[in-house]
Formats: sequence, C-alpha cells, structure tokens
Amino acid sequence: MASKSRWATDDDPETEAILAQRKREKDEKRRAKAEKQRQLDEQQQARAQQESDPHPKKRRRLSNDHEQDPSITTTPTNNTSTTTHESTILPFPTQEWGPCRNVSNFERLNHIEEGSYGFVSRAKDITTGEIVALKKLKMDNSPDGFPVTGLREIQTLLEARHQNIIDLREVVMGDKLDEVYLVMPFLEHDLKTLLDDMSEPFLPSETKTILHQILSGLDFLHDQWIMHRDLKTSNLLLNNRGEVKIADFGMARYYGDPPPKLTQLVVTLWYRAPELLLGAEKYATEIDMWSIGCIFGELLTKEPLLQGKNEVEQVSKIFALTGPPTPQTWPDFRSLPNAKSLRLPPSSSASAGNPPLLPRGKFPFLTNAGLHMLSSLLALNPGARLSTKECLAHRYFREDPRPKPKEMFPTFPSKAGMEKRRRRETPEAPKRGQEAPKLDFASVFGGQGGGEAGEQGAGFTLRLG
Amino acid sequence: MASPATSGLKYLSNALATVEQLSNSSSAIDGVAPDLEASIRCAGAQLTQTAGILLRLSQDIIAQAIVTFTRFWIGPDGGSLRIHSVKDVSAAALYMTAKLSFQPTSPRSVLNVYTFLLSKEASPLWFVNPKGSPDKPIPETYHLTEGGYQAQRQVLLRTESIILRTLGFNTHVALPHTIALTYLQTLGVSSSDVAKRAFEHLNSALFSPQLLYLTHQPNALAVAAIYLAARERGVRLVDCDWWEVFDVDREDLGFLVVGMGSMEGFARAELENWKARGVPMTVDDLDGEIERRRMMQEGE
Repeated sequence: MASKSRWATDDDPETEAILAQRKREKDEKRRAKAEKQRQLDEQQQARAQQESDPHPKKRRRLSNDHEQDPSITTTPTNNTSTTTHESTILPFPTQEWGPCRNVSNFERLNHIEEGSYGFVSRAKDITTGEIVALKKLKMDNSPDGFPVTGLREIQTLLEARHQNIIDLREVVMGDKLDEVYLVMPFLEHDLKTLLDDMSEPFLPSETKTILHQILSGLDFLHDQWIMHRDLKTSNLLLNNRGEVKIADFGMARYYGDPPPKLTQLVVTLWYRAPELLLGAEKYATEIDMWSIGCIFGELLTKEPLLQGKNEVEQVSKIFALTGPPTPQTWPDFRSLPNAKSLRLPPSSSASAGNPPLLPRGKFPFLTNAGLHMLSSLLALNPGARLSTKECLAHRYFREDPRPKPKEMFPTFPSKAGMEKRRRRETPEAPKRGQEAPKLDFASVFGGQGGGEAGEQGAGFTLRLG
Repeated sequence: MASPATSGLKYLSNALATVEQLSNSSSAIDGVAPDLEASIRCAGAQLTQTAGILLRLSQDIIAQAIVTFTRFWIGPDGGSLRIHSVKDVSAAALYMTAKLSFQPTSPRSVLNVYTFLLSKEASPLWFVNPKGSPDKPIPETYHLTEGGYQAQRQVLLRTESIILRTLGFNTHVALPHTIALTYLQTLGVSSSDVAKRAFEHLNSALFSPQLLYLTHQPNALAVAAIYLAARERGVRLVDCDWWEVFDVDREDLGFLVVGMGSMEGFARAELENWKARGVPMTVDDLDGEIERRRMMQEGE
C-alpha cells in the first residue's frame, strides 16, 4: 500500500510529486526499503502487465511533451492487492537560455518613475501589443564591471516566480552593451501613490488582503534564501484586479547560513530596522519583517509610520513609538556597535508583554489581534520579531473582518498609466558603495541639537570611538 | 510559466541546452571543426578550474563558472571561438560567478592568475606550456604590467557583458554535488571512499565533451556518479531500480554512466593529440591552427 500511494497520482499530480520529493528527503531509508519490497512484489506480476503498459520513457530534451502530465494514473484492474509498476519520474521545470532580444522590440510610451536603480517606462511589445513596464538598469561605470546589484536583481527575480512577486519576463538590451532593460508586466499602481491620493485609508478587510499578499510573496522569497532589503510602499505594486506584487529587487540578495558579510547600508531610512541603524554586522530576514511592520502601520494610517530626517532622528522616532530597549526586551542590544555607550533613561514605562504592545491610541481602529501582530513586527529585538510564516498564521487574518477577496477589490484611476510622473516623496534606498555614516546619537532623546550639549537625566548618549 | 508547485524545484534544476543548441554552434558556422571545438572547450574548462583553485575559490563557484563558460559556446546564437578568445571567456565567467557568490574576487587577482596560467614559460598547464613548468619560473615570464592590466581589464569586463547578453542573463547553475551527498545518505552508503569517487566523477564531468551538465539535470548527474563510484569501489547498493526513486530513468542513467566513464580515455587522447604544441587559447592561435590544418590537407 505504501508503495502504491507513493507513486499514484492525485488530482494535482505536480503538487503530489513535490510533496513526495520533500517527504523523500525526510524518511529516505524507509523509502528505499519499501521500494525494494515493491520491486519484489512487482517482479512476480510485472511480466503480464508490461506488455500492455510499457515503461514510460522520458528523454526530456528530445520530446516536446514536457507540459503534459507525465504521470500515468495507476488504476488497478481489480480489487486485489495487485500493484502495477508505474514509476512516476518527476518532471523538472523546463527552462532554456538564449540571447537577449533587442529593446527595439518595444515601443516606449511614457516614463513612469525614476528610482535609484534606473528609469521605468511604460512600453508596448510590438509583436504582441502587450503593455509592459520597461526598467532601464543603471550602469554605474564601476571599475568592477557589470553592477552586482543589477546582476542580483535579475538573478533573484528570475528565480522568484510567485504570484505576489513581479514577474521578470525577460532582459533585453540596447545597441550598446551597457543598455540593459528588464521587461516586467505593467501594474497600474504603487501603494505609496495610491495611499497619497486616497482620502480615507483602506478598509480593514482590504488592508488584510494587501498585507497577506505581501507576506505570501515575502515568505516565498525567504524560503528561497532571498532577502529583499528594500521593502516600502513605493516598491509594492497593485493592479486593478486587487493583486499586490513585490517589486524593485535592486537591493535583494541571497543570504546563507552562516550569513555572509553584508552591507549595513540597506533599506530606505523610514523602513530600516533598529539593528541596522545601530550598526549590526550580522542580520537576516528580520530586517524585512521590520519593514513589513512599517508598511502595516502605513496602510492603517495612510502616512509613513516613522519619518526620520536622518539616522539619529530615525532611531529616536523608533524609540518614541516602541519605548526604549530594555535588557528584557532586547538582551543583545548592548553588543551592537552603535549602542555600546548609549545611555538610556531608566525604563519605567516598560509596558507588560514581550515585545511590549505599541500604544493603542496610535492605532485606534485596529483590533487587539492586529495590534499584537503590529507590535511583534515592530519588536526592537530581531529575535522576537515575527517571521512570515508566523504572520500568515496569525489570528489577525482569521478574525473578522476577513480579508476581502481580491476580485472584490475597488479599482482606482491609474497614475502610472498617464503622462504624469509619479511623485517621489519617500527617501531612496542607500546607494551601494557609500560608507556607513558615523552616527552621533547624542540627540536621540531630549532633542538638544549638536553633540556637545550636556545631557543628563533623561537623555542618553552614544560615543563613537 | 512554471506552476507554483514546480517553481520550488528551480533551485535544484538547471536550464538545459535545446536540440538545436546541441546540433550547431557559432564556432562550427565559423569553420571550426567539431573535434577542435571540443578540445578547446575542454582545455578552457580546465583553465577555469585551475584558475579557480589559484584564486582560492570554492569548488561550487568554480563548477558554476565552468557550466556558464560551457553554455556560452553552445548553439548558433552562442559565442564563436573565432571571435572570442577562450581564455577571456574563461576569466570573465569565473569573475562574474565569483561576483555573485559569497566570495567575490577582484579583476586584478583574476588577471594576475590568468597571466600566470597562460605564460608559455611558467604555466603549469600542459596544454599551454607543453614543456612543463620549471621548478622556479622566472617572475618576468608571468608578470602583468600596469598597461597590460588596464587593457585586459577592459576585455574582461566587456566579455562579462557579452556572456550575460548571450545567456539572456541566465546565471543560475544548480550543482549535483550536495544532491549526491543526500542521495548517498538516503541509500545508506557510509563509505566516504564512494562519496569521494562520486565527487571526482562529478568534477571531471565538468570537462565532458558530451556537455553532460548542459543536457542533464543535477539529480541525474548525481545518480550516475554514485552508480559508477559504487561499482568501481565494489560497494553494493540496494537491490532494485533505486535511481527511479531519484527521478532518473534507466536510459538516462546508462547514457551518463557511459559518458562519465569515458572521461579518462578522452583526457588521455587529448593529451596525446596536443602535447606537442598545446591547445589554442586565443583567437589568433586558433586561426593559426585552422591554417595549419588547411595546409596539411592541401599537402596530402
């Protein structure tokens, strides 16, 4: 029986095959043994069956039937314990490579925006008539050749095929070797522009739909060992079918275990996690989760949650919202480079819970479950922050109001489709190659300008030595 | 294109060469005989391997670079050996792969290593320096001047872009090595001797004239290497069609086992054919070799 179910097809043979593959990695020995048993059984009965039922051959390259369902349903001819030998060999996704097409296959219609990583314009595929977004990669003429950020953007996007991640269709080139364009589907909105233009924030059910989709996309990325490192509302696109897609992988990269050396200069300031601001040399996917918390807050209030003018002010705004870190809420905090000599006010305001709940008054329309999820995303301690999986399973998504079905999502007039440039009010992600700034955190509390002002009592200082 | 279910497998699989890509190449169109093309490609792959070792890159980066290098030459849309020097493509593939990895390296280090490996006096590579390298090569024979560096760097970076364009930016290469280890554990093989031998087969298959890494998925390569290694080391595996558990059918397994098994003979024949004059590593050397063959033919 066991051997039977292993190879038999379900209603969805591909999913079944994947599950089998995963399972195989877990209890391998058992399987090998069972396989042997199956072989023995089969030898006794195979001969008669084999005639009518030839062994399926699949030389992948030489046949054009990859898309077909390769698994043949095993239907026992009678009710006895007869098992037929039907080896279902898992088909691999078929990919090929070929040279880049020329950008002249597209007719450019209008500019959409200019980001830190290049121009984006709306364009029409001349052969298919399809409207796409064409993003020109910025080549920084670096002495190291093709910019590694662009390479990573392409590599991560090519591998991150998911309904909530922008689909990189192809890479096309101009006549010169330094003209590189990414061809992606055109989406009508980005969340930032949409929020700016709305008079009221999204409904709670709509907020949930949006957030759930972002989390699904990010969950897939993290499963593939990819960190996005620049999540913000202007990088989240929405089409008129209520689908959200994560875009702009200019900062994305693979990480590993143990983590490789990474630059701290990532994530747009307003969405940057406290451990990055405090100079953590090792970080991981938790920095994306902090950004999710900031995006969640922004969806609720329509305004970016933490709008610091610089790193110092950003830290102070974070602590003002969450309360300063305590040894209980963030035990490793002291070991961070920029936190070593930081003096904090005596933590009297420590509210119950770890991580502590954010002030309810700031988010009056959020349910308790929602406030709990937001507070756990904006946990100062990266170790206490929720993961994508924990968020997706959070009761916030299961309680009423439920996430609104995508099909029921309202549509909005498109800014990007018109001849108008998107406004860019969000600060941009840091540029690669910059030095991490020397930060003077003396004014984080108390608001005295300049570093020299004698701060005592409630203030705290950071000496960088 | 790929459904969500199979997209999880992208990580473990590769883009494969099409029938058209395997049956024709730019170099062939430009008049390079198939045997000559295979010899140059194989020597270029070995050059990449040796350079990677000297650059202290890990074998997974080197192997990925060799696969990228090999893909570049395949098909009528691929690169031609009459236009791009094999040594430049080797260097650029290695440089680019390292750049995307956790162990990036600098253009200067890459070019220093290639200057050494391509020196007709100092190189330890038999197909560059058939005389064999002296015990203490004279530094002047493999020194990269500042002017030389500037010129070579331009070529390196330009070739990098050409590789990317030719491959449509498909830089993803999944390798069979870790898969092979998982499979060995699955099969209950504890002999590290078998694992070592399987890795040797996987690494030499990178140089295969049959382009095994371009025609078969990593799981199939892993299974074939294990099959061959176990047979050579006299280790009995489970008594059944175990390869089917790993999604490899008998036909593919047979093909790969023969392909991997023939590597030793192929390497010997290459050495025999080329040990007198070395394998052409540049467009100029190749032109010379083609001219030499033409004259020999006319002389007959």
